[in-house]
Amino acid sequence: MILLKLDELIQGIINGDRRSVSRAISIVENEQVSINAKKIVKEIFANTGRAHIVGITGPPGIGKSTMIGNLSAMLSGTGRKVSVVAIDASSPFSGGSLLGNRIRMQDSLTRHGVFMRSLANRGLKGGLSRSIWDTVKILDASGSDIIIVETVGAGQADLDVVNLAETIVMVLGPGLGDEIQAIKAGIMEIGNLFVINKMDLPGAFIAQKDIEETLAMSPKGVWKPPVVGVNSLTREGYEDLIREIDRHGKFVKKSSDLAFRKFRAELEITIDEELRSRFYEEIRAFLSDNEKIRNLMEKKTDPYSAAENLINSLA
Amino acid sequence: METGKNQSLFNGRPIKILLAKPGIDGHDRGILVLAKAFRDAGMEVIYVGLLPTPEEVVDTAVNEDVDVIALSLLNGAHMTVFKKVADLMKARNINDIAVVGGGTIPEADKPKLEKMGISGNYGPGTPISKIVEHITERAAEMRKLKSMEE
Repeated sequence: MILLKLDELIQGIINGDRRSVSRAISIVENEQVSINAKKIVKEIFANTGRAHIVGITGPPGIGKSTMIGNLSAMLSGTGRKVSVVAIDASSPFSGGSLLGNRIRMQDSLTRHGVFMRSLANRGLKGGLSRSIWDTVKILDASGSDIIIVETVGAGQADLDVVNLAETIVMVLGPGLGDEIQAIKAGIMEIGNLFVINKMDLPGAFIAQKDIEETLAMSPKGVWKPPVVGVNSLTREGYEDLIREIDRHGKFVKKSSDLAFRKFRAELEITIDEELRSRFYEEIRAFLSDNEKIRNLMEKKTDPYSAAENLINSLA
Repeated sequence: METGKNQSLFNGRPIKILLAKPGIDGHDRGILVLAKAFRDAGMEVIYVGLLPTPEEVVDTAVNEDVDVIALSLLNGAHMTVFKKVADLMKARNINDIAVVGGGTIPEADKPKLEKMGISGNYGPGTPISKIVEHITERAAEMRKLKSMEE
């Protein structure tokens, strides 16, 4: 890649140049937020807010990546500019990651020229990666019409996508449990749209009915989450799915509540980050001083006191 | 958050590597073993599956902004297909993504591949640690180039 100055990079993002977009994502993806990362986000911020951000979540192996392959192909087919970000888990032991989402959508990506980026969650709980907010901004500023974010295979408490996406598509399938499972608190509450994938398998209709019944019991809001059954092998049901995604997109663009909630959530994350980064070097240095830490352990210092002492000494 | 052993070396971002078998070759045991080994060495690994074209490999490498592309072929087409990847990289002016090779590559071909900028070219039986070491070195070179841009 040719040498790029930061200003050229920012201009490149706004012009939709792929290399600039790709390199900018790498810059915001560093563990510690750098001056360059902040500058990029500050400069492009005025160009964001146009794209429809769709989060795809659901348990591991349910077919989220395959679904995104189909969706991006069909949406690109109607002339929209689609970008995809997929998050996979990092190893808690090595820090490495096998980013395997791409393999399920490679054909659609190639055929339709869809920009797709794989991110590792780098240990962040909640189903997202820390840099995802900035990544989505870059894709938004680069002129995407729709940005599809795939979460890590989600458990019951991986809810962070609610603070990122405008439309949350919850992907479920047959065999995940009965209606009791469906009324539990947590992830089942955040879906704006429910998809039952693998409609070709036995039990899929029962799953769809269970979800529909559960949703019918929820308090009536302005938006009533639809349940769509799809078969990702034949793309049956996908036109309904796209119609519902678009309908919800129009619905949320009118809602200033959601925009406010998202802005506040992101502000909270950013303040935490800023606070942490102020002491980053010192905390790293403290944690890598094995002798000091062993000393604290042997003196039976409780972790609260140790942490308080450290922070007090820095502030 | 402890994320990987190479954190300080790699500026807060683990080595990112793309594994690919461009060409008509379904022998993926080796590349899958390597994918897991690289993950265990703290790298972020992308594998695009079987039969990607050289264009697809280069496009993916750019979109994902990887540090290293690792190509593997056991069908004897390396002199054609690896070269195609190297040519595309040159044509698109990409000099901060390293290309390494592996598979059943005759000794006589190795210097020719090196000349195209494709290093490593390890065969069956190579200790994984040696491969990881080579990739870490190449990735470090690439990061140096990238940090000059930033």
